[in-house]
Amino acid sequence: MTSYRLAAGGAVNRGQLLNFTFDGRTFRGFEGDTLASALLANDQMLMARSFKYHRPRGVVTAGSAEPSALLTVGNGARREPNARATVVELYNGLVAASQNRWPSLKHDFGTINNLLSPFLGAGFYYKTFMWPAPFWERLYEPLIRRAAGLGKVAMQADPDRYEKSWAHCDLLVIGAGPAGLMAALAAGRAGARVILADEGFRLGGSLLGESASVGGMPAADFAGTVIEELAALPNVTLMPRTTVFGWYDDMVFGAVERVQKHVASPSPDLAVERLWRIVAKRAILASGAEERPLVFGGNDKPGVMTAAAARTYLNRYGVAVGSRVAVFTNGGSGYRTAADLVARGVDVTAIIDARPQSADPMPEGVRVVRNGSVVATKGRHRIDGLIAERSGFEEVIACDALAMSGGWSPVVHLMCQRGAKPVWSDEKQAFLAPDIGKAFLAAGSAAGFDRISDCLKDGANKASALLRDLGFAAYEADIPDVEGEYDPSFAPLWYVPGAKDKAFVDFQNDVHVGDLGLAQREGFRHIEHTKRYTTAGMATDQGKLGNVNAAGIVAGMRGVSPAEIGTTTFRPFYTPVSFGALAGTVRAEHAAPVRTSPLHNWARKNGAAFVESGLWYRSAWFSREGEKSWRESVDREVLNVRANVGLCDVSTLGKIEIFGRGAAELLDRVYSNSFLKLPVGKARYGLMLREDGIVFDDGTTSRLSENHYVMTTTTAYAAEVLAHLEFSAQTFWPELDVRFVSSTDQWAQMSLAGPKSRTVMSRIVQDDISDDAFPFLAAREVVLRGGLQARLFRISFSGELAYELAVPAGYGEAVADAIMEAGRDEGICAYGVEALNVLRLEKGHVTHSELEGRTTADDVGLGRMMAMQKPDFIGKRLSMRFGLTAADRLQLVGLKAVEADKEIKAGAHLLKDQAKPSLANDQGFVSSACFSPSLGHHIALAMLKSGRERFGERILVWDGLRGSEVMAEVCSPVFVDPDNLKLHL
Amino acid sequence: MSINLLQRHVLEDHISGFETDPNPNHLAVVRRPVIFSVLAHAGHEAAVAEALKAASDLAPRFCGPSEWLAVSQTVGAETIGGLLSNIPGASFADQSDGKVLMTISGPSVRKILAKCVAVDLHSDVFAEGDSANMLCCHVAANVARTGADTFEIIVPRSFAGSVFDELMEMGREHALTRGFSD
Amino acid sequence: MASLITCPHCGTRPKEEFSIRGAAAPKRPSATAKDEDWHRYVYVRDNPKGRYQEYWHHVAGCRRFLVVDRDNLTHEVFGVTDASDFERARTAG
Repeated sequence: MTSYRLAAGGAVNRGQLLNFTFDGRTFRGFEGDTLASALLANDQMLMARSFKYHRPRGVVTAGSAEPSALLTVGNGARREPNARATVVELYNGLVAASQNRWPSLKHDFGTINNLLSPFLGAGFYYKTFMWPAPFWERLYEPLIRRAAGLGKVAMQADPDRYEKSWAHCDLLVIGAGPAGLMAALAAGRAGARVILADEGFRLGGSLLGESASVGGMPAADFAGTVIEELAALPNVTLMPRTTVFGWYDDMVFGAVERVQKHVASPSPDLAVERLWRIVAKRAILASGAEERPLVFGGNDKPGVMTAAAARTYLNRYGVAVGSRVAVFTNGGSGYRTAADLVARGVDVTAIIDARPQSADPMPEGVRVVRNGSVVATKGRHRIDGLIAERSGFEEVIACDALAMSGGWSPVVHLMCQRGAKPVWSDEKQAFLAPDIGKAFLAAGSAAGFDRISDCLKDGANKASALLRDLGFAAYEADIPDVEGEYDPSFAPLWYVPGAKDKAFVDFQNDVHVGDLGLAQREGFRHIEHTKRYTTAGMATDQGKLGNVNAAGIVAGMRGVSPAEIGTTTFRPFYTPVSFGALAGTVRAEHAAPVRTSPLHNWARKNGAAFVESGLWYRSAWFSREGEKSWRESVDREVLNVRANVGLCDVSTLGKIEIFGRGAAELLDRVYSNSFLKLPVGKARYGLMLREDGIVFDDGTTSRLSENHYVMTTTTAYAAEVLAHLEFSAQTFWPELDVRFVSSTDQWAQMSLAGPKSRTVMSRIVQDDISDDAFPFLAAREVVLRGGLQARLFRISFSGELAYELAVPAGYGEAVADAIMEAGRDEGICAYGVEALNVLRLEKGHVTHSELEGRTTADDVGLGRMMAMQKPDFIGKRLSMRFGLTAADRLQLVGLKAVEADKEIKAGAHLLKDQAKPSLANDQGFVSSACFSPSLGHHIALAMLKSGRERFGERILVWDGLRGSEVMAEVCSPVFVDPDNLKLHL
Repeated sequence: MSINLLQRHVLEDHISGFETDPNPNHLAVVRRPVIFSVLAHAGHEAAVAEALKAASDLAPRFCGPSEWLAVSQTVGAETIGGLLSNIPGASFADQSDGKVLMTISGPSVRKILAKCVAVDLHSDVFAEGDSANMLCCHVAANVARTGADTFEIIVPRSFAGSVFDELMEMGREHALTRGFSD
Repeated sequence: MASLITCPHCGTRPKEEFSIRGAAAPKRPSATAKDEDWHRYVYVRDNPKGRYQEYWHHVAGCRRFLVVDRDNLTHEVFGVTDASDFERARTAG
């Protein structure tokens, strides 16, 4: 194994050795290495197999655009596929593995696809795997998935923590290269709140791999001094390892910070990745430019990479990408790379320049082939030569690496994510950022500047302009001198003719020039169609390297300018973002907030089983020793309430305090029944409609004093009802003096129901609650024995004599305990929402199972609650429509099973006796059902066509889904105490 | 019978067990603050705002136009109720049991809260004495800045456990400790 | 990822704090208005691409209904008004 690490140089810490493995072999690198630079230093040029043809691949870049060197990093639950070796920060103990190969990276059986490649061109799948149709799912797709692909995800749950955070700033600078650093410096010195984010683990961008000197010192040192100054400014936040991946509405930027992706065992107290939403008043895109590959035969083999990548490995990491490096270029970048290599003692075998002439300075002793081209590369796992062509003559030139430069493309991705398209520049031979207004500007090479000095200046200027806009005093930045710059200009060259091997445009998807031609011939000419037909520009790199070449090549084929071809659509994310980061903490027990009742602890002590109801946890039933099923508990609770007394937690009902002289009028307009004359100290059941005449919600409202009411709503509609009141008051009738505030959380509310409830309640309340003093529908503030102020309502959902007592939430448990104690001799029990549901069903009370968004007041037997004499109320006008008053509407009825042991299920359909089970014969449906312990058989509430005229009729209850048919008798929905004798005990 | 009126704080179960000394970053749960909703009626908005500002022993927290939370950690509910009943044009409701008040403080407080709220809490924008309703850990809360590095968060009681757990989770990297303030 | 609305009472807030209730332009007809007016008010809505006035309820903030005047394609916000002020203005005007 040859070491390609140079004896000195680079920004790696040679004092800190790091051990890592690749495909089971142990290697060493330095702190400051990427996985790619460390592999290259260890002569591991072969890193991957390509997606489709399984061709051997190495690195193409030294950055985030890398299409080829995709590796799997980590193991176990932390195994992460498709990591780009060029951006993975090396750490001690890192475990990396190649992917998409079998049995090994060197000997990959899938290489057969390369031999079959004449049959595997673009559109191959669409044409070949068309029929027979059933084969697609069973045979073709599994086969294709196995043959083509990337790494495999871990199947275990992610053990790491992720989180999200907001950030706010005057200026967000994206990219910490020359332009970004100067922009941040200008803004930071001016006193603005600045965030400087860069995807790299070390700030400095291209300056870190640059051989020119800036401000009289090496470029990387200059970057260091600027960063030092920025770090000392309290108004500047530096965010290395942070990729700004998206630009969203209202200048909100999405970014992901890799907090702990560079350690072997992450701290459990820290997130491994943090998703940022950065709200910026202004922003600068200083994301630099991407060097374009040249499209020539065999341009994908290990050892062929961009000239800038070769330069970065050399200058930043102290790694020579080869011992004999050839250069193929159409501009100054190739010459600069050759010069840097020569200066560091690396042999440069030739510079092949596609141009007939150039003014670029020739490194001493290096042969330059002008007007030349490369038509093929030789070697398999690492190139060992190339075939150059000039004026029809071919020549083999030995080399073990080839640095290519096809010009530059500004990285304008973020500025195009909200619909604007990049603009073609003939002068720059590149797509430039579109004009998207004054808040977000591109600077430096992202804006088309190509010299370091211009980028430094542009960064400072753009920042100053944006800050002036925000009212900051103008700040004149001092721009340092740059020495030893080169001229990076280039002549366009989209495609190198005469290729003797595939010339790849998109390395990651194995799309070559032939595929683009095929797409044009077959009619997929729009660039978006070309993309989808060939897959050019898809997958994890989204065509960062290939798209501009693809546009140029298609333009050439069609004989038009790339401006006419344009680009495909840019969308977030700029680089892949993990699902973990997007989910943040919203998983497992943090998936949604949990609401607990003030009586939660009381319920738990009494053996409650809890049920989720929206965000609430409600007590469903209370098991007692010896009870084997929930039904046993529920039946016992129901019978006990009917015979004795029971206590139920109803704290989750919505409660709204209503104040003001206009309160009565507002209530009268939002309820269908009358509320103007509700006396102080009384509760009234109320029905609210939607404006379309359908029932919205029901509940009670009590008048506590002249201008103070308290409304209760159902648990499910608490938020909606408050919003409905606010909407009505604020938009319909702003002239009414009425104010609302929710008091749902203030009160622990309990329903004490059963014939013995008064006896028990009178042991708790000081006030006289005899039937005369506190009749049905009384609602008043009372004082408990012990002195606590509370609210007492005589209302009933169960049909029994019942009270609802509301006490301040903190005392809920104590009061509930006291009631249980006070009722012990009366045989009190705790009952849950299941029993509550049975009780209300037996009594024929409706809930949102019946008030389900299609029913009118009359449908559910509440027609008497439509106070049509009122001039207006919400829903009045449309409730009178013909469709809502038709005689054959579904109406609420009761059902009882003819055979006592037969169960009726909610959701079942109702058919006439003897009718064929079919939806064509549908007469209605069961809305709620239960076993009635009071009656000893199953009962149900149902919506039945003209139901109120059909009491006594036998109908078929057909549950097609669960395959049951039960005969039932239609009856009144009120099964228990139809004359309300028990309410008025 | 007389009821043994034992008050139980909703976070009692969340703050059980071994209590260490508070770290610089600390979340304190105030055991029995007095918190009233105050609403001004039409025509009285400015007068009620003035009266609340002038009142001693209570801090008004802004909720929305003509709506505040009146918070006191020094006097009882009767005193605050009496005080509010003397403000013409104001309606009020005791919410002391319906709200949970937490004080979060320390050098990392803004970093922790940046994970909980979307609002810019920089002192130039959200100065000492400022307060507003906002989403905090997915729950509608009232957040007030009561010091350079101190914020008070008021959340509905039923959500308090969730918000408390979430705040502690977000404070983990900053060694956030917790406890009742008394 | 986010959209921001500047509430006239609370300042700039993310869209998660709001609940959208649809077009603000239709005005509730009087109780004696024609059937067609009621039909239009309850059921008929324009669905423009572009500028649109919508009710946004600041549920996690001041709990006021706001009328947000914005372009539903670009999300450019032209103005945010308290719904009561909006209502009073159009009743007066």
